[in-house]
Amino acid sequence: MKKAIQISTEDLVFQLDPSETLLEGLERTGHQVEYQCRSGYCGSCRVTLHSGRVEYQEQPLAYLQENEILPCCCRPLEPLEVSVGLITKAKKSA
Amino acid sequence: MKYSTFSLLDNDQLKEPMFFGQSVNVARYDQQKYPIFEQLIEKQLSFFWRPEEVDVSQDRSDYRNLPDHEKHIFISNLKYQILLDSIQGRSPNVAFLPLVSLPELETWIETWSFSETIHSRSYTHIIRNIVNDPAVVFDDIMRNQHIIERATDISKYYDDLIQYTLLYTKLGAGTHTVNGKTHQVNLFELKRKLYLCMMSVNVLEAIRFYVSFACSFAFAERRLMEGNAKIIRLIARDEALHLVATQHIINIMQEGKDDPEMAEVARSCHAESIKMFKHAAQQEKEWAKYLFKDGSMIGLNNVILDQYIEYITNHRMRAVGLEPAFEKATHNPIPWINAWTSSDNVQVAPQEVEVSSYLVGQINSEISADDLGDFEL
Repeated sequence: MKKAIQISTEDLVFQLDPSETLLEGLERTGHQVEYQCRSGYCGSCRVTLHSGRVEYQEQPLAYLQENEILPCCCRPLEPLEVSVGLITKAKKSA
Repeated sequence: MKYSTFSLLDNDQLKEPMFFGQSVNVARYDQQKYPIFEQLIEKQLSFFWRPEEVDVSQDRSDYRNLPDHEKHIFISNLKYQILLDSIQGRSPNVAFLPLVSLPELETWIETWSFSETIHSRSYTHIIRNIVNDPAVVFDDIMRNQHIIERATDISKYYDDLIQYTLLYTKLGAGTHTVNGKTHQVNLFELKRKLYLCMMSVNVLEAIRFYVSFACSFAFAERRLMEGNAKIIRLIARDEALHLVATQHIINIMQEGKDDPEMAEVARSCHAESIKMFKHAAQQEKEWAKYLFKDGSMIGLNNVILDQYIEYITNHRMRAVGLEPAFEKATHNPIPWINAWTSSDNVQVAPQEVEVSSYLVGQINSEISADDLGDFEL
C-alpha cells in the first residue's frame, strides 16, 4: 500500500494522497498553478523543485530545466519542497 | 553552406547541429540526435483531426442573436486567428527548412506547418457556417489596419531571415552590393536572425494565440458559439505542442552544446528577446482595446484581458529563460481558460456536450516485466 507523501509549498504543508497527482493535490489545497494538457506535453504546470526526488512513468515532452518538475505527471519518491504559492496570496499582491 | 535537396556528401547525421550543418540527405529516424522531435511528430500525428468532424451548425443561430458589439468581437478575433495561421502554415517551411540539418527536426518542422494548415482550413469551415458570404470576412483581413499592423510585426522576423539566408547562400560571407544596396553578410548575423525569428514564433504561439483563445472560450463559457470553441480546443491542443517545440529549440540553442556559437548568439539577443515579448504584450493590449471598443462581454473585458496578457507573458518568458516583464501579474484572472485548453481525455469542462476528439494511434506497445507485477492466476 502506498503512503501519503508530505509536500511543502511556499505557504503550507500538506499530505499528497497516493491516488492523486501532485497537480491535483496542489489544486485541492488552493495553490496558484497553471495547467493545460495535464499529461506532460505542454509544460504549463512546471514548478521549481527545491528538495526531494520525483520520477516519471514516461519521460514528458515538455522542456524542463534541471530543477523543474511537472506536477501533472511526476510521481514523488520522497517529501518534496516546491515553489508554489496559494491563489489567495497571489490575488492580494496583484 | 549551400543548400541541396539531397546532399551527396556522406555524413554522420548524429554529429550535425540542428541548423547550419550539412543539408539533410537521407530522411532516417532509426537514429536521432534529439529524440524529442521524433516524439513531438508522433504526438502531433496522434492529434490529427479534420474541421468537418466538428459540428458547428448551432453557431449560426447563436451568431445571429449576438448583439452587434459581440459580433464585432467574435469576427475580429477570428480574423486575427486566420492571420496567425496563414503565416504559420507556410513560414516555418520556407524559413527553417533550408537551414536545418537533422532529419527528425526537418520532419518536425513540416509536420508542424502542416497542422497549421488544418487550422486555416477550419476557419473557412467556421465562417462558411455563420455568414452567407465568407468573402466579407476574408476580404477585410487585408483591409483592416488593426490586423495589418500586427501582421507586419509577426512576419518581419521571418522575412528578415529568409532574405538574409538568400544572400548568404548565394554570395557567402562578406560585403556585397546588390541592386545598389550594400549588405554585410556573415554567419553569426544569420544565426542571430534565426534565433530572433524562433523567439518571435515562440511569442506568437505563447501569447498571441492564447489571447485569441481567451476570446473564443469566453463565448463558450456562456454556452455560445460552442462549435467554434470545440475547433479552437483542437487548435489549442496543437499549439501547446508547437509551443513546447520552439521552447525546446530555443533552450537547446541557449545551452550551446549543439552549436557553441549559438549560445553566444542567444546571449547577444537577450535584451532584444525581452523587448520582443514586451512589445507583443503591448500590441495585444492595443488589440484588446479595439476588440472591446463598442462594449465588453460578460466574463471578459479590456481590463481582464490586459491582466491575462501580462500574466501569460510572464509565464512564457520564464519558460525560455527570460526574467518576467510584469512584476505584479502573479495570478491568472481567467482560470476557466485552462479547463477549455486542457486535454480532452479528462472531461473537465462541465459544459462540454461531448468529447470533441479521440486519440488515434496512442497505444503504447512497449511492455516490461514490471507491468505484469500485479497479475495473478
